[in-house]
Amino acid sequence: MSSAARKRLVTALLLAPAAVWLFLFLVLPFAAIVVFSLGERAPAGGYAPALTLAQYANLPARATAFWNTLVLAPAGALACLLIAYPVAYYLALKVLPQRRLLLVALIVIPFWTSLLIRTYAWMYILGARGIPAFLELVGLPEMRFINTPGAVLLGIVYGYLPLMILPIYISLERLDRRLLEASADLGATPFSTFFSVTLRLSLPGMMTGFSLVLILLLGEYLIPTLLGGGKVFFIGNALVDLFLQSRNWPFGSAIAVALVAITVVLLLAANRLTARLSGARQVDLL
Amino acid sequence: MSKSYRDGLPLSAREFIDQLLRFRRGSISRRHFLGVTGLGAATAVLAGEFGLKPMPAFAAGELGDRMSIATWPNYHDPQTFVDFTTKTGVAIEVNVFGSNEEMLAKLQAGGSGWSLFVPTNYTISTYRQLDLIDPLDLAKLPNYDAAAQNKRFTAEGEVAGVLCAVPKNWGTTGFAVNTKKLTAPMDSWKSFFDVAMTTGSGRSMVHDYQLTTIGNALKYYGYSFNSLKPDELAKAEELLLKVKPHLFAISSDYQPAMRSGDAWLTMCWTNDGAQLHRDIPEINYVLGKEGGEIWTDFYAIPKDAPNKPAAYALLNHLMDPKVAVKEHIANGAPSTDARVNALLPKDLLDNPILYPAADLLAPLEFGAAATLTDPNRAELMARFKSA
Amino acid sequence: MASETLDIEFRGVSKRYGDVTAVHPTDFAVPKGAFIALLGPSGCGKTTCLRMIGGFEQPTTGQVLIGGADMAEVPPYRRPVNMVFQHYALFPHFDVSANVAYGLRQVRPRLTSSEIARRTADALAMVQLAGFGKRKVHELSGGQQQRVALARALVNRPSVLLLDEPLAALDKKLRTDMQIELQNLQRELGITFVLVTHDQEEALSMSDVVCVMNGGRIVQLGAPDEIYDRPADRFVAAFVGKTNFLDGTVVENGGNAARIRLANGMEIGARLTGGGAPGAAVSVSLRPEALRLGAATGETGLGGIIRNRIFLGSTAEYAIEVPGLGTLLATADHDAARSDLLRPGDEVAISFNPGAPLAFPVADNKTTQRETSHVEVLS
Repeated sequence: MSSAARKRLVTALLLAPAAVWLFLFLVLPFAAIVVFSLGERAPAGGYAPALTLAQYANLPARATAFWNTLVLAPAGALACLLIAYPVAYYLALKVLPQRRLLLVALIVIPFWTSLLIRTYAWMYILGARGIPAFLELVGLPEMRFINTPGAVLLGIVYGYLPLMILPIYISLERLDRRLLEASADLGATPFSTFFSVTLRLSLPGMMTGFSLVLILLLGEYLIPTLLGGGKVFFIGNALVDLFLQSRNWPFGSAIAVALVAITVVLLLAANRLTARLSGARQVDLL
Repeated sequence: MSKSYRDGLPLSAREFIDQLLRFRRGSISRRHFLGVTGLGAATAVLAGEFGLKPMPAFAAGELGDRMSIATWPNYHDPQTFVDFTTKTGVAIEVNVFGSNEEMLAKLQAGGSGWSLFVPTNYTISTYRQLDLIDPLDLAKLPNYDAAAQNKRFTAEGEVAGVLCAVPKNWGTTGFAVNTKKLTAPMDSWKSFFDVAMTTGSGRSMVHDYQLTTIGNALKYYGYSFNSLKPDELAKAEELLLKVKPHLFAISSDYQPAMRSGDAWLTMCWTNDGAQLHRDIPEINYVLGKEGGEIWTDFYAIPKDAPNKPAAYALLNHLMDPKVAVKEHIANGAPSTDARVNALLPKDLLDNPILYPAADLLAPLEFGAAATLTDPNRAELMARFKSA
Repeated sequence: MASETLDIEFRGVSKRYGDVTAVHPTDFAVPKGAFIALLGPSGCGKTTCLRMIGGFEQPTTGQVLIGGADMAEVPPYRRPVNMVFQHYALFPHFDVSANVAYGLRQVRPRLTSSEIARRTADALAMVQLAGFGKRKVHELSGGQQQRVALARALVNRPSVLLLDEPLAALDKKLRTDMQIELQNLQRELGITFVLVTHDQEEALSMSDVVCVMNGGRIVQLGAPDEIYDRPADRFVAAFVGKTNFLDGTVVENGGNAARIRLANGMEIGARLTGGGAPGAAVSVSLRPEALRLGAATGETGLGGIIRNRIFLGSTAEYAIEVPGLGTLLATADHDAARSDLLRPGDEVAISFNPGAPLAFPVADNKTTQRETSHVEVLS
């Protein structure tokens, strides 16, 4: 065997497991969804073969769900970002190195428990026998927190904050401290240094965190269901209903394809933006 | 202030453990769906640890060592399954669902793995039509006595003369109201929706279930619970969209919110109403005088059931009146079986929640098969939820 | 000396990190327009001193004055000094122009954008990078990045330029070019340059004044030739340039004309620094280029056998084994290096000028230990 042929064989063998995996569990299911999306709903629900774009034409029927998702997911990700940044900044630049590991561990520990259980706990904390009961005990009037948009936002921030903190922390931790000194040396106030240097150079981390949280929120249905009382309807909720309640597979598939398309477009845009703002050679989104 | 420190606690230690166990019992991926959300299944392997003690009647191995059933939340006496496992050595995995649509979706998708499930009356003809369930072989169900059944509730178990399902219990769909919070008397769906938009604003719940939520909105105008007429559905949608901003939640898992005091008013099924009233007397169960739903839940065996012998054995066990009576005491729904009624304690038989007066029962309608598959009702529900 | 003629002054400045003393209390001054090098091995405190001037470290005790003003409460961004950082610390997210213009954009009241553009272009031209403004930093070579860092630091016309190991990352050829350029730049601008380096060649070649530091103290401050020819102690003699050390004992302490007995019993004249009673152990430094090699004559002088010859082009180095003294290094110039006279295995006679040997007490550290290393202000 020639060495070139051997090299090709070795490359093929090394990549084969991943390629097979991706083909079986990403390409094939996605192809199936595309095929379903071109079909029709069978009379009793499910899929009936057809070749029609009717499902895509019907997408505006879920316009509200798309709108909710496209407004609330970025808003939730932004809220996470605003809260996560100071935490990450503190961890990376202000904490004594010997204490840093402990604090980072504290941020990761909640991940050891299922998001469902943690979110369910919030149902009790925000429910009538939780915070409102304590407030009543101290003489405040009856208040309701659960099943409000605020509760959904809180759940989102609580659930996804670590995913936002960690990438920002890593990018800030890798930040060359001498760049901050150089900035100060050149006459920049700490405020100016933060916006001209620190913020700009942590942009890739912010973008990674933002994209991660955004992707998860675009498909979110658990938190709005549990903490929003099923009144806040995300695309994820629409999908669950279409597949599990009305069993309209083709329409559900069309929405899934549309969601994938939206996600890809959003990520490409985010990638482009980050590359331009941070001037880095490459930006690793995930 | 008479409030104790404990009253202010979010939940008691016992409740917390109960909740935790409720999640612990399942496989991780499925429990994300379940119970809590009413969207999926909490799966429980009961009695897996009880060991193999087959009764002489069952040759060892004949029934296999495990089976899986799909049913509703808070619907069984857990002891029933423990007893069965002790008797036969078959461990039972319990999957809990929030709607008939969801059960149908799982069976349609295939590979559900269930050997027995609990569909509601109006769905059985569709299952049969889609060839998803087996006709029942009564020879394997000696404990079932057709003569003891109330025909009003059992009719839909037969499809075109073929017996496909036997009844578990019947019930009604009304609403539960916390009379300490909402003191004005309520007796109709009109009052339900009106109160939800006024004194009960922010404290009222409707089901995450097209049949009852749309059906009861139709009853507000006096239309049929099962209506498929576009103009009537349009009126119901108008009402639902009007009430939505006032709702506390759209969810079929309403017991926790009613118990905690978050919600004061909710659409409610008999058995939940009975359980709530038993524990919190100020929560009343009310049937709308315009009518509404009456229903029967059945046992049926899926065509692709992996363990049919065990399914028949468990079903026969459940048909034993001595077993069934414990089930009814536990879940609070009335029985269709005269033999069971004879064994039920008197206070249960006298409970108007379980056995409402005849004039209230008269206008109730069984759900119609067509509502299950009607795309317009499904879309109406989606528009309501996403509005 | 009046403080207005001084650019930088340390008054009893020290720096401690916990239990570790990085800089012992130090007095030190740099006059306007000087090119001074802080030279020493790593950990000697030179960088800490530079960072205290820049404002990135606060002295534990004492005062740092710049242009006569106490800098105690002055943050880095208000100090009239700029720094060329080690590895340059260029902003990766800006192009070359934006890096250079960075300091100009911080000026308040704001400069007009045409003013910023003009001065940026001037600064780039000064470092011979005109036309490179739109390049990305990572597209430049090491030498070019070095120039950008220089332009960036000079664009705000500081009164003092601090350079932290500016040439360390460059290859030898480029380093020599940059040394000349930096020297020219300093003369043209007439501002004070403070260079931190561990490379004695760099310090000697570029600066007017070399400040040798060791163990958090200034060991010697002086002109490069002074440092080289008259090191203050054994450390400086060893650190600056190459030298041979010979063990010996004091026979007679006559200061500039002391008599030292070497280990092989030979007695030589040497200049003894730091004192030493007769009988005290000393180390005698003999620079390789001070040794002259000749054909063995059989006279009772210093002699040995050539073991190695390292040809260096303009010169050659010889390792000579001398009985009783060990191996000595000698440098011979071009002509001698070419001669066939000196080959490995040959016996050679070694001679040197009487003023060449420098003797230092062996227990140097003890005798020079002082609470304050006070070095005279240069004029």
